[in-house]
Amino acid sequence: MFKSLNLKNIILMTLISIICGTIFWIAGFLYNIVTIALTPMGLAPLANDLLIGLWTMAGPLSGYIIKKAGSSLIAEVLGSFVEMFWGGQWGASTVISGIEQGIASELGFTILGYKIYGWVSIISTTITTTIITFIWDWFRNGYSAYSYQMLILLFITRLVSIFVFNGILTKLIANLLEKSTILK
Amino acid sequence: MILINPSIKLITVLIIALEISFTQSTITNILIVLIGFLYLLINNKITWNALLILLLAIIPTVGIFMSQNMYGTAAMGNILVTRLYAYITLGLTFTKTTTIQELGLSLEQNLKMPTKFVYGFMGGFNLINYVKQDIADIKQAAHFRNINLHFWSPSLYFKAILSAIRYAELLSEGMESHGFSEQAYRTHYKKIALNKSDYSKATFILLILQISIVFI
Repeated sequence: MFKSLNLKNIILMTLISIICGTIFWIAGFLYNIVTIALTPMGLAPLANDLLIGLWTMAGPLSGYIIKKAGSSLIAEVLGSFVEMFWGGQWGASTVISGIEQGIASELGFTILGYKIYGWVSIISTTITTTIITFIWDWFRNGYSAYSYQMLILLFITRLVSIFVFNGILTKLIANLLEKSTILK
Repeated sequence: MILINPSIKLITVLIIALEISFTQSTITNILIVLIGFLYLLINNKITWNALLILLLAIIPTVGIFMSQNMYGTAAMGNILVTRLYAYITLGLTFTKTTTIQELGLSLEQNLKMPTKFVYGFMGGFNLINYVKQDIADIKQAAHFRNINLHFWSPSLYFKAILSAIRYAELLSEGMESHGFSEQAYRTHYKKIALNKSDYSKATFILLILQISIVFI
């Protein structure tokens, strides 16, 4: 699976994950602020779904730029390592989330056979990331205890967050890179 | 100083973190925090930075605790708060006692990870300070033109990735011109040992974890 990646790709992936890992780390502080703001309304769990797009950015960005099997998964996992080494507030569990989110976004490119890019791949990676991370939180963060109105709200918020940060933002960055003709 | 092989340490820490994610034992979580602290203390790794990380974690803990007490159960609040501190202590026991270089060399020598990944990662991580400086420069340059770049601005990422692509090209060409080859057999100046005692230490730690989860 990782055979097609060469040294240059791997260094680039590492650098992308360093940039994104820093954002993951900052997102931790944002999460605290949003949680505190939402707690009086009883919507504290929403903070996680609102910001999840930021935490899953490295995968689609790297997958879209490098366009090779494994690039999405590895960048997301490395990003989580960067967050852990910088002292993120979720410590060792960051890496587990990183592996889970990496698989989720990689799958979006895998089902298209790493051949189709553009909006199709953006939408497919958004859908796989949303569904898999939601199932994960269902088991891990006790989502099963919420009412179904709350679950629908959480799911839609998550979908929008992932679409904005992993979808639209990634596509805009990729458009700029394509215009600069540096990718080929 | 208690030494344990970096790869084994990483795998052990991840197994523990995964296991406490799906079990609900406050005492186990507290036990992990205490043992982790002891480990850091023995290795003389309780730094100001580590204390700051633990201190900052009070903010999310208060948030979790309050929302669980308001809308969930107090027992669940206790579990989630202690679990968060267990995660942080586990993270610190790994990151404060292992450098990226040791981890990379151990992954290569002990877990047989392909060299292109190990040296690619390590090469990339060595550029951290350059990447940081570049992002600061990009922001500063935009600021001169009265433009503020935020973490949601595509042009910030575009410029950062442009410089990342340049670094990746230069570094990979540099490494290859110095004779780096993906297939070649490598000898190692710094050897990372993997002994039977590493396995037994990890087994012992995991055994205590199971006993604590099941019986306490």
